[in-house]
Amino acid sequence: MTLQAQVQSGSSAEPEQSFTDGRISARWFPVFMLLPAILFILVVLLFPLIYSLYVSFTPYELLKPNSLKFELARALRNYQRLFADAIFWKSVGNTIVFLFLSINLSYVIALGLSQLLARVTRGQGLMRTLLMVPMMFAPILVGFQFRWFFNANVGLVNNLLFSLGLMQERGQIAWLVDEPLGMFSIIVASIWMNLPVLTIILLAGTLSLPVETFEAADVDGANSWQQFRFITFPLLAPFSYIALTILSLDISRAFDIVRIMTDGGPAHRTELIWTYVTRLAIENTKFGLGSAMSWVTVVLAVAFTLYFFRQLVRSRVVR
Amino acid sequence: MLHKASLLVFALALLLGAGLAAQDMGELQYAGLDMDLSGINIRMANIGGGTYEVMYESISVFEEATGATVEIVALLDGFAIDQKLKVDFATGAADYDVAWDHTSFMAQYTDFLLPLNDFFSEEELAAFSPAIMDAATVDGNLYLIPRHADISPIHYRLDLYESEEIAAEYMAATGEELTVPTTLEQIDRQARFFVENGHSTFGYTLAGREEALTGRFYEMHFASGGSLFNENWEPTFNDDVGVAVAELLRGWYMDSIIPVDTTDLLWDGVAAYFCNGDTAIKLEWYGWYAYFQSPDNCAINHNFGLARGFTGLSVGGDAVRPSGWAGAHAFSIPATAPNPEAGAQLIKFLSSERVAYEEAQLGYLPVRNDVWTRIIDDAAMAENPLDRERLVLAQLQVSEDFKTPPLIAEWIPFSNIFYPHMQAILLGDVSAQDGLDQAAAETREMMADAGYYG
Repeated sequence: MTLQAQVQSGSSAEPEQSFTDGRISARWFPVFMLLPAILFILVVLLFPLIYSLYVSFTPYELLKPNSLKFELARALRNYQRLFADAIFWKSVGNTIVFLFLSINLSYVIALGLSQLLARVTRGQGLMRTLLMVPMMFAPILVGFQFRWFFNANVGLVNNLLFSLGLMQERGQIAWLVDEPLGMFSIIVASIWMNLPVLTIILLAGTLSLPVETFEAADVDGANSWQQFRFITFPLLAPFSYIALTILSLDISRAFDIVRIMTDGGPAHRTELIWTYVTRLAIENTKFGLGSAMSWVTVVLAVAFTLYFFRQLVRSRVVR
Repeated sequence: MLHKASLLVFALALLLGAGLAAQDMGELQYAGLDMDLSGINIRMANIGGGTYEVMYESISVFEEATGATVEIVALLDGFAIDQKLKVDFATGAADYDVAWDHTSFMAQYTDFLLPLNDFFSEEELAAFSPAIMDAATVDGNLYLIPRHADISPIHYRLDLYESEEIAAEYMAATGEELTVPTTLEQIDRQARFFVENGHSTFGYTLAGREEALTGRFYEMHFASGGSLFNENWEPTFNDDVGVAVAELLRGWYMDSIIPVDTTDLLWDGVAAYFCNGDTAIKLEWYGWYAYFQSPDNCAINHNFGLARGFTGLSVGGDAVRPSGWAGAHAFSIPATAPNPEAGAQLIKFLSSERVAYEEAQLGYLPVRNDVWTRIIDDAAMAENPLDRERLVLAQLQVSEDFKTPPLIAEWIPFSNIFYPHMQAILLGDVSAQDGLDQAAAETREMMADAGYYG
């Protein structure tokens, strides 16, 4: 009997003795072996989560240690305050707009770039290397870079527009101030940072597609658009799914960009959940309120995810 | 022969000069070296970066004289050191003997600091500017020893005030002489005149975000006789004075007297507009002086003058006073310091006449009276007379106009409530009265949470 078979059978007394000297049953042996990992996850992941949930029901402020105490009468105060806070809901709305535009536009541009790159016959290696350059920048540096690009006084964009005669006086457009240019600017910076990883994944997917399918389509007289629409795009679906999943998990790195470029301002015009919770929890040291906001955000995110997932499933069933 | 003689005279002059300098340096006194601290390791968490760190090079003198070793456990920028201190204080991990402090931040740390009254004699404390020591004292407890200070004089473009043509034009337009402004209303008239008649791209500039905007509003408000809070800590900045100041700023923004990206500007952005020569008048920290005078960096070099801060709007009546929002970097001792006495000795050394003088030579404003005298005397020999005028003016402002933000732990949370509302007023999203009323309501809620109203 192999070791695996012995463990799986669980009924044999012989392997029990040989593994644990009769002290732990074979059924619990795998659990016992996994215990360090389970404990590690509990300590590192679950405990902070539960603790932050507890903190969210207290008026805890970092520099007032005595404020970390639960009082039933005041337990929901942080949540009541958040639900009545117009800036919080504005930051939720801005975050949804930011995520929607940043993720979708990044995907569309990356899809286009990957198709162009797939058709490059010479120097594709060099172009792929160049494409990776934005990945080498820390988000905070991307933030500084685009803050300078969009600076009204000495920025690249305004000076370029002025040089091209598209602007009568220097510094006329306040990119980081005016609505909706502020959101536009941080979305552009975010897209710039997102593009390399998306494009590389989609390019890899495109290059792995079977050539025979396209040859058959050629024979049938399908033009380039039809080949893309009915062959490339559907076959890339698994890659698109992976790319969008990675991006969705990674998009919060854009916090550093926003923090440097606008820090949520002016007048909360570009306030995102991340900048607002930082202001509440870190700058104002109101950990209770900040924790409550984080938990409301988590619940909203889960609710949105479930809703969109159901819609996706329903649309597939209908189709 | 004459050439050799000249060289000899020059060499003698150099030697004499060096001797005098050495003698001068000899008169400068270190402090904090009179205790045997052999075997003690003093830990320090302080502000770092750029010229902040030059001071720490002198610590080897302290180590040699006292036998102590000094371990610098953190050198971080202002924002980062504040975050570190907050976390360390809250978790009881502030296991260092000397910590960075600042008059604007001190109030939030006081529960975690040792009062310094017992570590310093009255004679030692008398060396520092009384206005700063007042700002460092809460309920009779002294919580910090100042290191260097900053305050803002009016900076103005000289060419605009020296041109007879512009002066005549101004007289024709307003019926008054064009003189360096002393009041906020004069600044308003002149700034508008310079822009509307094409003499300057912008009439004024100010930082328009974060604590910088809150501070500049606070300054204009108290200079106009207003107060952010009353004696019961109820917000009062939405009074007539506050609304008048907010409407002034909003009018400047709407009429392009200040840049279109004002609400995106912090100190460096504001300085850049003046450096380029695009701004006629502004309040600016003394710390930027060397940058503005540098021919390599700034078009404005040798083309600007300095004047005492303005008095506020006349709506404040007799309560108007000169502007002077100010602050001082400093040293404190955490309550959890393992060796507080040794930490105090190190602070005495770092704030001593000699170390303070050496730091003042980098351009920082000193906080000791004896150092003021010395650097003003030194500047008398400077090529540019403004070098000395600047120091005389700065000493006057530090001694008479120095005003910190309210000494409450809620200053930064208050600022985070206030400045977005002020930005909304500037941008025209809301009226001055409504914006200030909303900010006051939120501030009141925050102060109530903090237990100010019983």
